[in-house]
Amino acid sequence: MVATAATSSFFPITSSPDSIDSKNKKLGNGSTNLGGIKLKPSASSGSLQVKANAQAPPKINGTTVVMTPVEGFTSEDAASSLPPRTFINQLPDWSMLLAAITTIFLAAEKQWMMLDWKPRRPDMLIDPFGIGRIVQDGLVFRQNFSIRSYEIGADRTASIETLMNHLQETAINHCKSAGLLGDGFGATPGMCKKNLIWVVTRMQVVVDRYPTWGDVVQVDTWVSASGKNGMRRDWLVSNSKTGEILTRASSVWVMMNKLTRRLSKIPEEVRGEIEPHFMNSDPVVAEDNRKLVKLDDSTAQYVRKGLTPRWSDLDVNQHVNNVKYVGWILESTPLGIVESHELCSMTLEYRRECGRDSVLQSLTAVSGVGNLGNMGEIECQHLLQLEEGSEIVRGRTQWRPKNAKSFGKMDQVPAQSA
Amino acid sequence: MVNRLRLGGLTEDGFSYKEKFIIRGFEVGINKIATIETIANLLQEVGSNHAQSVGFSTDGFGTSPTMRKLHLIWVTARMHIEVYKYPAWRDVIEIETWCQNEGRIGTRRDWILNDVATGEVFGRATSKWVMMNQDTRRMQKVSDDVKEEYLVFCPREPRLAFPEKNNKSLKRIAKLEDPVRYSKLGLKPRRADLDMNQHVNNVTYIGWVLESIPKEIIDTHELQAITLDYRRECQQYNVVDSLTGLELTEGSKMVSVGTNGSATATATTREDDHDCHRFLHLLRLSSDGREINRGRTEWRKKPTR
Repeated sequence: MVATAATSSFFPITSSPDSIDSKNKKLGNGSTNLGGIKLKPSASSGSLQVKANAQAPPKINGTTVVMTPVEGFTSEDAASSLPPRTFINQLPDWSMLLAAITTIFLAAEKQWMMLDWKPRRPDMLIDPFGIGRIVQDGLVFRQNFSIRSYEIGADRTASIETLMNHLQETAINHCKSAGLLGDGFGATPGMCKKNLIWVVTRMQVVVDRYPTWGDVVQVDTWVSASGKNGMRRDWLVSNSKTGEILTRASSVWVMMNKLTRRLSKIPEEVRGEIEPHFMNSDPVVAEDNRKLVKLDDSTAQYVRKGLTPRWSDLDVNQHVNNVKYVGWILESTPLGIVESHELCSMTLEYRRECGRDSVLQSLTAVSGVGNLGNMGEIECQHLLQLEEGSEIVRGRTQWRPKNAKSFGKMDQVPAQSA
Repeated sequence: MVNRLRLGGLTEDGFSYKEKFIIRGFEVGINKIATIETIANLLQEVGSNHAQSVGFSTDGFGTSPTMRKLHLIWVTARMHIEVYKYPAWRDVIEIETWCQNEGRIGTRRDWILNDVATGEVFGRATSKWVMMNQDTRRMQKVSDDVKEEYLVFCPREPRLAFPEKNNKSLKRIAKLEDPVRYSKLGLKPRRADLDMNQHVNNVTYIGWVLESIPKEIIDTHELQAITLDYRRECQQYNVVDSLTGLELTEGSKMVSVGTNGSATATATTREDDHDCHRFLHLLRLSSDGREINRGRTEWRKKPTR
């Protein structure tokens, strides 16, 4: 059996334990297709040739993880190497073999004989580590995330911070995949030359349903122009198994000179770099144009003072990670609302950054109860500012009663214009 | 038992569980490498997934059927993590975990952390768990029928992540006495610190311990080992103080760890010792000073990357 010959090159053991035989049986005949990597055992040399398709195999840990372990193994090597190795002697090689085996079995395994306590994850076959890939004519970046137990909050669902971390991650990975990363943070090479950076000014998130432990979410993201000198990044988060839309988000970015901190027009050179990646689509979230009011001590009903960043709140630039602001905003939202309601919509305006030594205060005002046509919905206004006064973030949140989601609302993925 | 060689699954013999993870951008810290909280979260995740895969509960408690009948839950008593080389953004790691009996009232869970690309072990961890009655909040001896339920899934022979004698995971942690060197007072649990059972997440305590480490150390050193003894639960409404002091080794001076005093000890050796800091930690309730956790950490000079 051809396939057995292939696997035997990974198990250069003469006395194979029973378990390995059962593995051999599971492999299908012929070549296995990993949806990107074809393994073709060639009859003549008994070696495995690996062909990759057009999309560059992802680099992980600085090495192309799929290719490297496979290339090193040929049955000739096995035959001409050491005398019969026992199971014990194989142990030092096991982890490398495991990496090679994993890539083959991901594609070949057809039946799950174990208790399947997690839903099937077909996307994992193509993107086993969830690095993400460009789809849809090269304009949309897609990455899957498995919701982990520690990402589940007190509400027993993934927290809004978890969702926003996923959005942030896909944004960076999109830039990297599209070759737009000059410095690792979304600035193109042309921008780096001119000391320009992207700065997010506005973010809108609408959550239809929060995923829970074990769910695998699919995050699609793309960029479009926003006015003449801005960029809009949209996200669509869906349940990778059912296709149900979970979250929609949209963000607006402007270009700023990182030295002068002044806003900048998009230079022609940079326009040439980024415009080919722009999608011509409507925002995935209808823009909430209502002005965000600035709260103060007299208009805010709830104030939480003395908020200080922890070490884990800081990003690589030692600034407080954008996502952490959301956590602070929620901190001053009254516990009564947070416990009985869930955040269904949020609009944020980012004003300034803060760092480790900042001391902040979070102000909240409840601005509407059940006045949006939806019984039980609550609206709040927020302000996050340094205690000395500078504004960090302004926001508006909407909350719906928990367990009051609309049923059977299976949104279609909006048709993307090319 | 059929092995499932996917991102995560029980191993061949069913006695341990392995899972792969990719380090994501929001899991790295100011040093561009995975934070210790990320590592600790992944250890917790793998432990939960192991429990789930052998049929234990999915409510976050990881309890067996008999335990649930008797209202018993596992509570962490001690956690010890050593990291030799922190993984970076986009690195793929694999964690293997297994459980074992520990004395009459406890169980231990061990982990080995591997870098998938190099196959190297970059970290090890071990933890001790005791059984507590959910209602009375009192410790309870592990009865034989409960033991039977989970021992089935434990290796037959003792298998230790830290097999070496007198290893750091066994070290007793002294209670921090005055003078306290560094402190951060008034830490409050955030909503994001609560787990699905509304308790302050075990990993949050690690963050609190580190809060009182000053910037000078954080900028130049990285955490090599951390040991935490969990003494008392912290509730959502508690306020916590984080205190740090230097750990004194027997007969040594205040700052550096004692060398072996041998005549052949080189200047380099002494410098290495200066590059290693050891601290004792205490987390206590601000209100009445009652101890929540005590810990010790070791820090090494950051390698040049």
